[in-house]
Amino acid sequence: MRRSDLGEFEEVVLLTVAVLAPNAYSVSIAEELEIETGQTVSTGAVHAALQRLEQKGYVTSQLGEATSERGGRRKRIFTVTALGGRILNDVRQVRNRLWDRIVPQVTLKWN
Amino acid sequence: MKFPNPLSPFPWLDDLLNRLLAPHLREEIMGDLHERYQRRTQRLGESNARQRYWRDALAYVRWSNIKRQSNPYPTTYTYSPTMIRNYFKIAFRTLTRHKLYTALNVAGLTFGITCFLIIGLYLFDELTFDQQHRNASRIYRVIEHKKTKTDDLTIAAVSYKLAEESKKSIPEIETTARMTSFGRDNLSNPETKDKFHLTINLADENFMKIFDFETIAGEKQTALKEPNSIVITEKIAQKLFNNTEVVGKILRFDFTEKPLKITAVIKNHPSNSSFDFESLLSESTFNDDAEFQQSNASDWSSHNYTVYALLKKSAQSQLVGTKINALVQANYKFETGTTVGYLLQPLTDMRLHSDHIATGSTNVGSGKGSILYIKIFGIVALFVLLIACINYMNLTTARATNRSKEIGVRKANGAFRSHLINQFLFESLLVTLLSFVLSIGFVNLLLPSFNAFTEKQLSLGFHSDYRIWLYTTIAVVLTGLISGSYPAFLLSRFSPLALLKTLKLQNQGDLSLRKGLVVFQFTISVVMIIGTIVLFRQIQYVSNKDLGFSKELLLVVDINSGDVRKNAQTIKNEISKIATVKNISVTTRVPGEWKNIPTIKIRPEGNTDEHSISYLLGVDEHFTNTFEVKLVNGRNFAGTDDSTSILLNETAASMLKIKEAAGQLVEIPERSMGGSYSPLRNGQTFRARVVGIVKDFHFQSLREKIAPMVLAYQNNPVHSIDYFTSRITGNDVPNTLAKINEALIKIDPAHLLEYHFLDEQLARFYADDHRRETMLIWAALATIFIACLGLFGLATYTAEQRVKEIGVRKVLGASVFSLTTLLSKDFLKLVLIANGIAFPLAWWATQQWLEEFAYHINVEWWVFVVAGASAMFIALLTISYQAIKAALMNPVKSLKTE
Repeated sequence: MRRSDLGEFEEVVLLTVAVLAPNAYSVSIAEELEIETGQTVSTGAVHAALQRLEQKGYVTSQLGEATSERGGRRKRIFTVTALGGRILNDVRQVRNRLWDRIVPQVTLKWN
Repeated sequence: MKFPNPLSPFPWLDDLLNRLLAPHLREEIMGDLHERYQRRTQRLGESNARQRYWRDALAYVRWSNIKRQSNPYPTTYTYSPTMIRNYFKIAFRTLTRHKLYTALNVAGLTFGITCFLIIGLYLFDELTFDQQHRNASRIYRVIEHKKTKTDDLTIAAVSYKLAEESKKSIPEIETTARMTSFGRDNLSNPETKDKFHLTINLADENFMKIFDFETIAGEKQTALKEPNSIVITEKIAQKLFNNTEVVGKILRFDFTEKPLKITAVIKNHPSNSSFDFESLLSESTFNDDAEFQQSNASDWSSHNYTVYALLKKSAQSQLVGTKINALVQANYKFETGTTVGYLLQPLTDMRLHSDHIATGSTNVGSGKGSILYIKIFGIVALFVLLIACINYMNLTTARATNRSKEIGVRKANGAFRSHLINQFLFESLLVTLLSFVLSIGFVNLLLPSFNAFTEKQLSLGFHSDYRIWLYTTIAVVLTGLISGSYPAFLLSRFSPLALLKTLKLQNQGDLSLRKGLVVFQFTISVVMIIGTIVLFRQIQYVSNKDLGFSKELLLVVDINSGDVRKNAQTIKNEISKIATVKNISVTTRVPGEWKNIPTIKIRPEGNTDEHSISYLLGVDEHFTNTFEVKLVNGRNFAGTDDSTSILLNETAASMLKIKEAAGQLVEIPERSMGGSYSPLRNGQTFRARVVGIVKDFHFQSLREKIAPMVLAYQNNPVHSIDYFTSRITGNDVPNTLAKINEALIKIDPAHLLEYHFLDEQLARFYADDHRRETMLIWAALATIFIACLGLFGLATYTAEQRVKEIGVRKVLGASVFSLTTLLSKDFLKLVLIANGIAFPLAWWATQQWLEEFAYHINVEWWVFVVAGASAMFIALLTISYQAIKAALMNPVKSLKTE
């Protein structure tokens, strides 16, 4: 898999799906991201990212239960596929390797 | 799927999103949106949440969400070829299974469409009059509206200078063309001496340029440029030369010495052209005629020319009319009290919108059409078609019960409503199409006789105007849709459960609608019957009314040459010697004639009041015997030297306040041939003595009231004699004619005998009425027939439905008569109601039409009775056949089954 397949936002969303499993759907993901990043995240953006991820085969979805606050509509629950998990792993390893190679003095200067 | 959410902050935004989003995404997206909103409201408060809601909603508007999911399974598309084949198959099966009803439907629709097509072709022809010219939309005829103290006239003729100057000084006018006619003369081929008697028409060089008369030979653009040029029609060319390649050959008119060179031969005028000239002489032929030039040079007020103006593309005709008005007012001073206005009439309106134009249009076109009758026929055609549609609707809905099982099974098997609607529509379209094909055959069968009696050349075939086919197709498809729509929408509505359980359609509203439609059909039929009877009676009345003179066996011979006119007295003597001629009189015009009768200004001598207006006829002392006009007072003309005496009709006498004719002196200073008054020929006032009063006689059509009429002696200074009228015995007419011709030829060997019988001529006034009458009678018959077909179908069906009831009744002892009454009663009630509606309607309509005639019949009560009774009778006949058949049936048969 080429790296460019996974955008930064997509990567974060994919991670959040993994974090929130088995209860990851647009609203919960958006709220989680808001809490984590402190930025406003619209469900629309999340939804679009999820659609792309599903297309790429990193997540699968099925319809979950309906709640009254949704006006009786069902939610779409997402789970990370094996492929998605591997990609996350790859990304993480690349990052880790790079982090590991940063000289400690440089990191100190940032703080 | 739509989820209403009462908690939604912006229902309309939801609505919009719902429409925008692809159906498979709606649920999750709208759910997410609302859940987020709810949570935010709890956390951040409502106003904040509402703001965010907006932004969230907008974030969803992206192509991936809007794009519809493609359906992986094939759907049974309502119009898929398979389905269409199926609709046709089922329609065909249903139609062939119920042959009687199919035949009734097809017959009704065929009749309706045939009537519609024939009337439609007639109307199309009338409405497309004069559109064959390329610039038809830019050509206008100049109309003058002239109002004097005594007169109010609209004339389709204007002066020479107006035509000449308006094209120079009014920028909107591209050019003008003019035409004038004067008298009739013999046109001959000098080589063969073949002759033809026809009107002399003069036109300027533009005339052939702005109109697109199709030329067979010769150059159209320059045809009327040179002096002594003549344009003739194909017909004349054939008559005089047996050939149409005659450009460059010479013709002669008797009135002039000049040899006339044929410059172009044009095709005969098509039947939908207002023009009917046979020859056109170039106006420049008279360039060397000093008198002609002089009279034109200062002519701003005459009505000598029919002028056509070709306007520039963007010009407004109204504005141009105003400008012409200003131009004439600036150049000519009208008498005080006279107001003149000019209007431009579109060329294409000439046929149907010239009712108000009194005179001046005589050199254009034979008959005028009437927009009123066009409308009447249009409505009649639509009604006939509508009645045929109603038939179909009624019979189909009535029979729907029989098909409830079929509809129910179809629905239970998953047919959509649209499938059922389509099926019924296809059925009706199939029936209509079948009827249409049959009607095309019928129309072509009927057209020859229809053409013969309307004097048109209508046809329906591949070569017909594309618009005819376009309108026809639209009409036929609409007919099919209208006929099929009500059954289709009604029958597809019921729930399959109800259909299969009861096998019956319980629908009261349906029944009353059907009744309403039957009432409607019969109302129209009765109105048309009454209209036809009234029309028929009025025409009877007109042709039998005492005209004040006896019109039978009057032979009128035209005076066609100066020599004959000069020697009228000799000829009269000759003719009166013929054994079969009882009386002979010479006159300027004949009563009931189709040419203008001159009017004069008249007043008692010594009186300084305004002049009165009267018609004038020059006659001789034999006029009263020949025409059998009664002299009520005074004496007749005494003889040749009695030329200063005049007779008056009763109307003129009362106008001039003369009770007893006693030689009262009157003065007649001016005369008019339609339009403007000019001094008499010798320039002097004609002073005459009133010596007698004759009983009023109808010298015009009965549409006009009897007007004042002065009978002057034959050699009066107003108008010269033009006709010999003989009262003949009626024995051996050809021989009489031959002898009269002999007498004429003795004086002028070149004279062409032109004659007609006065009663036939008078009948021409009403020829159009006769045509309309015949057309209406046929339309009325068709309406009744179609309505009865429908009734027959309904009666058949009702009898079928009630077969068990009738069986039980019969077993219990009901008589055939009471059963027949039972079955007929319901329908007769409807026809009765229809009568009630039709009577006032018909009364109003016929009254409206009769107003047109100055002398007309009164619509009497028995007309209504006859119409109503005949409608009832016909309806009863139709129904009783089925009713009696049902009543006579053996009850064992109907009760045995089940």
